[in-house]
Amino acid sequence: MSEWSEAVQERARAIVAQYPQRRSAVMPLLFLAMAQDGYLTEAGMIEVAEWTGITPAQVAAVATFYTMYKREPVGKYLVSCCTSISCMLLGSDQVMHALEEEAGALHGQVDAEGLIGVEHAECLGACGGAPAVQVNYELIEGVTPDKARQLVQWLRKARPETVNTDELQQLFGGTTSFEWAIKEEVGAVGPYPAFESFGSTAPVSADGTES
Amino acid sequence: MTDLTREGIKATVGEEMVKVTVDGQEFEAPKGQMLIQAAQNHGTYIPRFCWHPRMRPVGMCRMCLVEMETPKGRVLITACTNPVADGMVIDTKSEVAKKAQEGVLEFLLINHPLDCPVCDRGGECPLQDHTIAYGPGESRFVEEKRHFEKPIKISDLVYLDRERCILCARCTRFSDEVSGDPLIEFLDRGNFTQINTFPDQPFASYFSGNTVQICPVGALTSKAYRFRARPWDLVSIESTCPHCTTGDRITVQASQNEVLRFLGVDAEATNWSWLSDKCRFGFEFIESPDRLTSPMIRQEDGSFTEATWTEALELVASRFTEIRDAGKGLAVLGGARGTNEDAYALAKFAREVLSTNNIDCQLDDGLDPQFLAATADRARISDLDSARTILVWGPDLKEEHPTLYLRVRHAVQEKGARLVLIHPWRNGLDDRATHKLTYRPGSGAALLTRLQSEEGEVATALAEGPLVALLGRTGYGEDGRLAEAVAAHVRSLGGKLLPLARRSNVYGALDMGLAPSLAPGRATTDNPGKNAAQILEGLAEGSILGLLMVGSDPVRDVPNGELARQALEQARFVVALDQFLTDSSRLADVVLPVEGFAEKEGSVTNVEGRVQKVNRVVPGPGQSRPDWSILDDLSDRMGRSINLVSAEAIAKEIATEVPAYVGVTWDMLDAEKDGVVVPLPEATQPLVYLPADTPGKSFSGELVLHYARTMFDDGVLMRHGPSLEHLAPGAVAILNFDDARRLGLSDGDQADIKTSQGSARLTVRIDPSMNHGLVYVPFNQPGIPSLGSDPVVTVTKA
Amino acid sequence: MTYPLLVTKRMTDFPSDSHTLERYEATGGYKAARASVGMTRDQLVEAIKNSGLLGRGGAAFSAGLKWSFLAPARPAYLVVNADESEPGTFKDRQLLERDPHQLVEGIIITAIANEVHRAFVYVRGEYPKPARRVQKAIDEAYAEGYLGKGIFGSSYDLDVVVHLGAGAYICGEETALINSLEGLRGEPRLKPPYFPAAVGLYNKPTIVNNVETLSNLPHILNQGIDSYKGLGHEADTGTFLFSISGHVKKPGNYELPHGITWNELIFDIAGGMRRERRLKTWIPGGASAPWFVPSDHLELPITKDDTAKAGSMLGSGAVVVMDEATCVVRAAERIVRFFAHESCGQCTPCREGTSWLEMILRRIEAGQGREVDFDLLLDVSDNISIGLAWPPRMTTICPLGPSAVSPIISITKYFKGEIMTHIHDGGCPLPA
Ligand SMILES: Cc1cc2nc3c(=O)[nH]c(=O)nc-3n(C[C@H](O)[C@H](O)[C@H](O)COP(=O)(O)O)c2cc1C
Ligand code: SF4
Ligand code: FES
Repeated sequence: MSEWSEAVQERARAIVAQYPQRRSAVMPLLFLAMAQDGYLTEAGMIEVAEWTGITPAQVAAVATFYTMYKREPVGKYLVSCCTSISCMLLGSDQVMHALEEEAGALHGQVDAEGLIGVEHAECLGACGGAPAVQVNYELIEGVTPDKARQLVQWLRKARPETVNTDELQQLFGGTTSFEWAIKEEVGAVGPYPAFESFGSTAPVSADGTES
Repeated sequence: MTDLTREGIKATVGEEMVKVTVDGQEFEAPKGQMLIQAAQNHGTYIPRFCWHPRMRPVGMCRMCLVEMETPKGRVLITACTNPVADGMVIDTKSEVAKKAQEGVLEFLLINHPLDCPVCDRGGECPLQDHTIAYGPGESRFVEEKRHFEKPIKISDLVYLDRERCILCARCTRFSDEVSGDPLIEFLDRGNFTQINTFPDQPFASYFSGNTVQICPVGALTSKAYRFRARPWDLVSIESTCPHCTTGDRITVQASQNEVLRFLGVDAEATNWSWLSDKCRFGFEFIESPDRLTSPMIRQEDGSFTEATWTEALELVASRFTEIRDAGKGLAVLGGARGTNEDAYALAKFAREVLSTNNIDCQLDDGLDPQFLAATADRARISDLDSARTILVWGPDLKEEHPTLYLRVRHAVQEKGARLVLIHPWRNGLDDRATHKLTYRPGSGAALLTRLQSEEGEVATALAEGPLVALLGRTGYGEDGRLAEAVAAHVRSLGGKLLPLARRSNVYGALDMGLAPSLAPGRATTDNPGKNAAQILEGLAEGSILGLLMVGSDPVRDVPNGELARQALEQARFVVALDQFLTDSSRLADVVLPVEGFAEKEGSVTNVEGRVQKVNRVVPGPGQSRPDWSILDDLSDRMGRSINLVSAEAIAKEIATEVPAYVGVTWDMLDAEKDGVVVPLPEATQPLVYLPADTPGKSFSGELVLHYARTMFDDGVLMRHGPSLEHLAPGAVAILNFDDARRLGLSDGDQADIKTSQGSARLTVRIDPSMNHGLVYVPFNQPGIPSLGSDPVVTVTKA
Repeated sequence: MTYPLLVTKRMTDFPSDSHTLERYEATGGYKAARASVGMTRDQLVEAIKNSGLLGRGGAAFSAGLKWSFLAPARPAYLVVNADESEPGTFKDRQLLERDPHQLVEGIIITAIANEVHRAFVYVRGEYPKPARRVQKAIDEAYAEGYLGKGIFGSSYDLDVVVHLGAGAYICGEETALINSLEGLRGEPRLKPPYFPAAVGLYNKPTIVNNVETLSNLPHILNQGIDSYKGLGHEADTGTFLFSISGHVKKPGNYELPHGITWNELIFDIAGGMRRERRLKTWIPGGASAPWFVPSDHLELPITKDDTAKAGSMLGSGAVVVMDEATCVVRAAERIVRFFAHESCGQCTPCREGTSWLEMILRRIEAGQGREVDFDLLLDVSDNISIGLAWPPRMTTICPLGPSAVSPIISITKYFKGEIMTHIHDGGCPLPA
């Protein structure tokens, strides 16, 4: 039945248990499915359909609605450059251009090696630290075109197993939206831009479904 | 219960009336009715695309924007999502409303291809119509239109052209909300939104054709109709669907004497415009090149030669007269697929000319005719809408009574009825069942006894009325009389009943007396004849010599097909009135070609006792004749004229001679939109039958066969329709994992399935949802012998 | 001039550990939540109603009033809107990252006030770090017995689940958010019902509140209604977080009372314009809001009503400042592109209209504008937002479609010359 490993199934069961209705688990399960392959495959969606009791078409209807569920491989590092209004005002188009050039991949593409994907994104909620860039959704604020190029070079060379937003900020960032102050104690996300290293694990005490 | 899906707005239309003003005209409308409907009922048409009266509103297309007065000034609202309220003042034609409507239309057109000349919808397209009525002259959109690969095949029956789609969500709502198989969905977002299926998972819904009918543009088209005609060339005549007992209203459309399309008609009493794909695309047989066009006589070597009517009828008359006069027994099988007029003629012919009561329009797969014809406390289909509890203990409605399935689904999902579902296995309504009980065929009586005696949730649910029960045989291993016992229980609870039998006009045929124990008008005969099973046995053992088959194919259609084959082979003389050479009529001595659906006029009676018209749209092929005229001709030749001159004359005779039908004339039926329900007599049958697990028929420890029909099978009408012929699921034997392991079987293995009445070698499928001790085999699949109606089965690895 | 701080006080005073449970409790944390365990629904709802707290998610609706609309059916749910995606807005991110226990305490108070036993925090997917912080705070609260079975030793159960979005601005709209949480496409639901408080998550009564709104609650209960009101300006009680971005010297989040002027905000507080360029225009309340210009609006007091009277809104408090070198066609195109990209696609005018506007703007910016395009921009806008009024007369289910019209209204009103120059000169007159 399930193609997922026992550990992943365990995680899936925990996710489903958090919701009064299992269909609600479709979004976290899609992230879980992505974490297996690095992107969302048809098999992954079929698996999610089984877990949530809906049809694969219904899963696809949800999955294709959101920009973060990637239907094609995006590389090990997905670099997203915000080009919405505030970032645009402070030169994000040039940052995007630098990223594309350095990576050798245009918006929506992956570099030749399949390591780095590049995309422009709508507002990332970092307008005060514009221009903003994310690597696997870990934020860097105040990025210049030069820093953007260095970022790509560094990813190619260092190939970190996980990316940490504080480290990235220190290496490639500038002005921030607000004082970050606190260093993040845990490593962030990797190796794929997927979300299984966090998301809710809260013990849910109310048992059974409510509706 | 599955999880809730999108709730949306449910219009609960009550009794209370409210005053509304639309464009200066004041009128009263029921509170809760959507403004768009209320306005339309009072002569104001508000343009719309997404709204459909039989589905929840989504307010997506925004075409129905109108202005409403409020204390804070006028606001724009969508007429399809706002129920009328007392004192509501609406302007549908104000500057602002018109500007909004024209704006929406322009937006819809900017990405719509201008391929109307090659579009099936051209000429019957609301977008085209609205553009002429409200639209801009020329496009201000100079950008590139949205492009999609066109058209893509999304199922065996349906094509999708996403460029034409205006994203009204009618098809997606239908499949999710109405038919319960959400296989077609919105994908992507915003300006890239499209309708599509999941890769490699086609839109394999039994109801897919409805989406073609309700698509307001030409985005969804059907394989059967694509490029066949232009709407303005079509002749449209209303009729009643020839496939199910629900009596679904349809429009038959033809061009140049060729039937090209069935459309559902929104009849409140029956199908609300919906049709299953079997019904919708089951028109192709009418134009099949295989239709019989002249009488045929079988030769010594088994081949047929064409004959003149005179030759054929002379032969039949002389052989039947001979058998009759020798007192050797004649019998009649069939007649449940024609009109009441033909059934009346047949009953009269059988009794007066053939002198026999060996008449059965059911083929050993139904219920007791007394029970079917005279069930008192018969429910109307519309009673489902107000039921508190619905009991379904019978065939899988989705497979065998598709529009009733939709109605039950609607009652549970939209009206909050509780559904008690009793079935041996998985069932189309499982996801909506409040209580689902499964049991092994053969032990239904024990289950019933438990329901009657034990307290519990199910018993409580059944006791809380209004209760409507849909009862029939869940499969052929089921004792046909179990339903009667259940009916007695339901009746004791004050519930109403819909008995479930097969073949479109079975109720009309029974009412006309096509049963061993019934005289026309649901009266009981004094000396009942033999039923279908007994007739076949009689033929096989030689106690009956002659058989008249009327539109029936016992070899494929009775559970014990092997017995039917033997019967036909042993019979001395067999005559078939048929549209096709079937596995049965191939064994007849004389085959007479008849006019079929859409070729003759008459009346039919549905499960509620509702009498409706069927109409002639095209002529029958070749020398085919209506049944009644053949029978009348034969009666003359056999010296006992039944004196029938036309279908209309028969109708008049029925309206004066057949008790329940007195006064029901064609004029009346033509005038009444939803036909007429003929009155049912008081409960005449005693219903004392209380089956229990018969000693010696206890199946514990053994395997039991669940042998039931699927919507698509190897039936005659499907075999002769190119769209449907390949849709039968095919014969398999479905088993639980544990049973399979015990028998040494794995998925895909071949196994021999054996009952006392037949055997077949089938592919094994393992299904975790299958109950222990149960084997499911779909009935009448291509190329597979039948297994009969004995539920005891053995399965061995081949 | 400095102003008293509430929701950003702890992080300002204790920048290194404001997110920890120790610091939170050491500075009076969870006192209000503990106290509210003993309070009735009526008491809490009255208190919040009287505080005048207005929602901080953009619509500025009275939080207490919304709670009072909660239908009687149970279970009821609480959904925290942490989907912050309106261009220019980044305040909730700061609250989530730097004082997550403040939010958890707000959740507990709201849950008790609304008889909720299960709450969801819907965090936009692009906020992994804020989500981790909130999750950690929740885990800590569970460990302390502040969440879970029998919170604070009472018999009250409360579960909180963090749910991640996956990249869709429209899921910030509360009914779209609820659909999204149910596992449906994030499409806004039809109105009426106007409030999820009547029919919301799983068709049950549901309270949806913004992160900042809930972060205010402990302070209201701790310092009392009068003191809280005193921090604000007339109907706009309490403090308000402004997110300032664009061409100012000191962009960032500022917690301020209402009533100061735009001049003070942009020039005194945010440090004035970069490179000493002149102020050209600014967006006063997020990408959805019509723009302001110095000549008309600089001295206007920043209040909900004054902004509305001037034809715009404070929305989520996002101020985007543009200097004289900004090409307004390009700026408008960027905002319209956002809305076109984020349109859920249900409503014809929004789905088709926003993309059409984007295409026209892009054509003008690329020097392919036609004389008729100016009127076409206005008329297409008019078909999305009839009469181009403010607040809009919507032709759509939700306000997203009409929001896309705001930049068009603004540039055609204040910068017609610049648009026509683009059209006549075949492109942008400003240096790139
Ligand atoms: C298009 C659209 C986007 C919205 N985005 C957000 C958002 O990102 N965060 C938020 O808190 N509210 C957002 N809202 C407002 C919410 O619908 C809702 O009013 C709010 O969350 C209620 O919380 P409050 O009363 O505490 O402000 C949005 C509304 C619309 C129409
Ligand atoms: S206005 Fe736009 S975003 Fe809002 S519901 Fe309609 S299509 Fe969706
Ligand atoms: S018909 Fe009302 S919005 Fe489509």
